[in-house]
Amino acid sequence: MLIQFRDITKIYDGKKILNRVNLSIDTASDSKDVLLKGPSGIGKTTLLRIMAGIENSDSGSIEITMGEAAGGGKKLRIGMVFQENRLLEQFSAVENVTCVDSMISRTRAVEELKKVLEEEALDKPVRELSGGMQRRVAIVRAMLPASDLLIMDEPLTGLDPETRDRVIRYIMENKGRRPLIMASHDTEGLPRMRELALV
Amino acid sequence: MLKKSLIVVFWLVIWQLASLLIHNNIMLAGPVNTIVALKRMILTGEYWHSITFSAVRIMGGFFIGSIIGILLAWLSYREKYVEDVLKPFITTLKAIPVASFVIILLIWAGNKILSLYVSALVVVPLLYLNTLSGLKSTDPKLLEMAEVFRMPMRRKLLYIYLPSLYPFWNSSLQAALGMAWKSGVAAEVIGQPLGSVGNGLYQSKIYLETADLFAWTITIILTALILEKLMLAVLGKCIKT
Repeated sequence: MLIQFRDITKIYDGKKILNRVNLSIDTASDSKDVLLKGPSGIGKTTLLRIMAGIENSDSGSIEITMGEAAGGGKKLRIGMVFQENRLLEQFSAVENVTCVDSMISRTRAVEELKKVLEEEALDKPVRELSGGMQRRVAIVRAMLPASDLLIMDEPLTGLDPETRDRVIRYIMENKGRRPLIMASHDTEGLPRMRELALV
Repeated sequence: MLKKSLIVVFWLVIWQLASLLIHNNIMLAGPVNTIVALKRMILTGEYWHSITFSAVRIMGGFFIGSIIGILLAWLSYREKYVEDVLKPFITTLKAIPVASFVIILLIWAGNKILSLYVSALVVVPLLYLNTLSGLKSTDPKLLEMAEVFRMPMRRKLLYIYLPSLYPFWNSSLQAALGMAWKSGVAAEVIGQPLGSVGNGLYQSKIYLETADLFAWTITIILTALILEKLMLAVLGKCIKT
């Protein structure tokens, strides 16, 4: 599968936030993972939102050429970690993971969550969990459903160094062949990825 | 609990003292006379038949009105023009006095299920406006998350919309149930369907049986209260908050 973002331009209040951004991702390539770099306010989140299809660009296009493995003609399925956690606060960590996809069983959600979270936290309403724990639930929620592309906006925010390494390992071991586009101001401990600097 | 009981006892004492002071059972029957009347009524089949007759119609109207209000609110939420088209209708429905509804519907539909129509019409605008407010206050970030993950509508309803609607429904359903009973019984008093609570109230007035009138009133309050608690318990069980 080939995903091409061509000349993506976004203007807010007369100011050009994104100016003709180009990015091509070949899922068969070894360098399919991309790290978005740039100072805060430069438009990383906006670009990720455009890539996820939840915001329109003012000009430019997104072209997806599906390979046989991806099942030609389908819309791009995305697993996303938003800038905020966007969890259903009254529901448990397990419910937050299973609710997005009927194919994810409770057993599977528990199994995956246990890789990054303590067992006693799994059935508590997420509003009772710490910010770092909530972030990990949001990451597992993005990772588990079947998807063609993973988009993560500052996924490591609020994690202590030890948990951070554990989470990075979890993401890289479980993402499979899916390309990952990540915006992160903190690159320490991240595996080598293709970099796209927004200026 | 003890404090609440003491407050109730205090007002019962005031009521009894007032009735002793007035010393006229037609003007003001005291709590003792009212309880005696209630006890006498409870032992008759007619009493239970009247409660069933009115409860079935009023609660039927309440549920039908609630469903119509909720469905219209959903349509308005999805399509702005539906909201614009419905606005004058809902405003009119809210402003029309219950007595006018009762008389118009009495002419159109007769008195048998008048209380059903009236309570439904009273409930529709209340549920419509509150449901629409609840839907509009749903967190757009969660809806965006649902869109990205392509959550089916059934799941969006269960996990996002219903918890957002709960506080709006919790208060509006309580108010709507109270209004349904008040307007439903008023419709029965005017329409006089035989074997209804409203008819019982009217008969008490004709024969100047103030104790019976109070006993019927207590019956209406208790029935509405029990059904309200039941409904809120079911709502709380169905929606995770």
